[in-house]
Amino acid sequence: MTNSIDTSIYTAITEAIQDEARRILSERSVIAVVGYTAARRKGSAQPVVITQADDAGKLIFSAACVNNLAVYLTKAKKEIPKGGKIGIVVKGCDLKALVGLLGESQLKREELYLIGVPCAGVLASTAQPARELTGDTIAPKCRECDNHLPQGCDFVPDQRPVTLELAGKYSAEIARLEAMTPAERWAYWKEQFKKCIKCYACRQVCPFCFCEQCLCDRNKPQMVETTPRPAGNTAWHIVRAMHLAGRCAGCAECERVCPMDIPLNLLNRKMAKELKELYDYEAGFEVREKGPLAMYDEKDDQSFIK
Amino acid sequence: MHKYISENNLKALLDHLIADGKRVIAPRMDAGTPLYGPLADSAGIVLDQLPRRSAKETFFPVCEDIMSYDKEGQQVTLRDVSPANFPETILVGVRPCDAAAIPVLDAVFSWDYKDEFFLERRRKTTIVGLACTQADDACFCTAVGLSPADPKGSDLFLTPVEGGGYACETFTDKGEALVNNHGELFAEPNGTPALPLAEPQTEKFDLKKVKAWLDDHFEDPAWDSIAVRCVGCGACAFLCPACHCFDIVDEGTEKAGKRRKSWDACGFWKFTHHASGHNPRDLQPKRYRNRIMHKFKYYDDKFGQTLCTGCGRCIRFCPVGIDIAAIVNEISKK
Repeated sequence: MTNSIDTSIYTAITEAIQDEARRILSERSVIAVVGYTAARRKGSAQPVVITQADDAGKLIFSAACVNNLAVYLTKAKKEIPKGGKIGIVVKGCDLKALVGLLGESQLKREELYLIGVPCAGVLASTAQPARELTGDTIAPKCRECDNHLPQGCDFVPDQRPVTLELAGKYSAEIARLEAMTPAERWAYWKEQFKKCIKCYACRQVCPFCFCEQCLCDRNKPQMVETTPRPAGNTAWHIVRAMHLAGRCAGCAECERVCPMDIPLNLLNRKMAKELKELYDYEAGFEVREKGPLAMYDEKDDQSFIK
Repeated sequence: MHKYISENNLKALLDHLIADGKRVIAPRMDAGTPLYGPLADSAGIVLDQLPRRSAKETFFPVCEDIMSYDKEGQQVTLRDVSPANFPETILVGVRPCDAAAIPVLDAVFSWDYKDEFFLERRRKTTIVGLACTQADDACFCTAVGLSPADPKGSDLFLTPVEGGGYACETFTDKGEALVNNHGELFAEPNGTPALPLAEPQTEKFDLKKVKAWLDDHFEDPAWDSIAVRCVGCGACAFLCPACHCFDIVDEGTEKAGKRRKSWDACGFWKFTHHASGHNPRDLQPKRYRNRIMHKFKYYDDKFGQTLCTGCGRCIRFCPVGIDIAAIVNEISKK
């Protein structure tokens, strides 16, 4: 296929990750490594936590390694061992989420050992994990990736991904939606949100949804209708988009896991675009305690005050 | 009764039913996603892919009103929703894994409490099943004792035949009535062989052995290794044709509101969160254990059936790649 993407470096990356995990676990410089391992289905991969050097050989990296593993380090995931340094395999997009979590005092840099992955891209969906990585099957976020080689990690395999120039889907889709009338745009989102079944997969995979009690789960008082109906669905997705504005760095896990194919990352990218235009701010590049929506500056745009 | 129906006549049948005022539910595209839903006409039907959500929502909707109230001063008026008003429905293009789950659900909805919302829809619905000619490596109906041509749960069952059209077989009075009422659209079977059926590759589970292990291993370190990565969403339960837990909430204002029943999932932290603040399933592996226990032990203990039909949806759409077929297979080898 003409638009197939070269993932040949993933074999060498897999070996390098295994060697590094084996080293840090046997030297006991970390208590666990969160990475990916192969699963039963052809081509599939799944998150794994290993604590023994002997298990390092289970780790892999492939185009099916879609998950943002940062979610496992948050306080919402009580199952993962805490109380010691943890190794974690990160793609550039995942790293941006970790940077955000460091800024929000959810994690400490000295408690992490970052194994960065030179990444040529991953699949948009793993419903059929054996699919070849091509311009058609690649995750939309990878088309606009500016972080193929994660910076500031403790270890990065010495590989350089070959990346193709692919047209940005989010930018094109946002432009299309911006060109609509408010009524058309509302009709578009109504169609999408009505499919929502409130499975909360979007929330559960999001590294930034680490609240132990989600506002949207409360029933006394009830902030948002919990039933999967148009009103509550719309409120839920808008609440989430607002809570992520200035924090979400675009790992797009919410969109990948949505079993109803709701293009959730469009909301997050639109908010990111607004933040860039209003505050010249982009989430995920430097550790900052507060994003623009959590602080006041005299130079802030005030044109909204009428 | 054995018959044959061409593709065009199947569409004509659906159009006749719709013109007669019947509700026809079938797989169709909904904002880009294949879902079961009411057809406006037969042109919208999509029979070449498994709908993302199962057919259970025809009987057990994602969310439904079960009562409403008005309050005027001290005067409170309660209004029931009457299942008698549910429309007569033909559910078409149901794959064996979805159709087989419906009798499994009958057991729980007609047990000590008769759920008239479910049961009235069941009485008013005729189910037209469809054999599968394609499977992927997440399909495992054969592993749980079903097959790509299993008519369990279907009133009328269609099997694609060479050269187009379907061999039809009726299994109930409802199925016969559907054929007899539209006899002109059906022909006598002409002996054309069926298309080769799908062949799911997953190993058959030894369900007795699985249950025997579950009987003795409520506590076992395996649960941690199986489910430490589970993120606690409800995607598996909500896509499942057999999961049937629901929540009931009142939504509205002081003046008026509705009591609603909507899907719930044992993967949620909130599912077993007590009013005291205590949660007996405090960590995710305990919640995932309940999923496996309910499907392969508790439901069997109570109703003598397995609460899984091997559709594979939970495997394809688990955010973190949890593979129930691999897990149960591993348990059966313990």
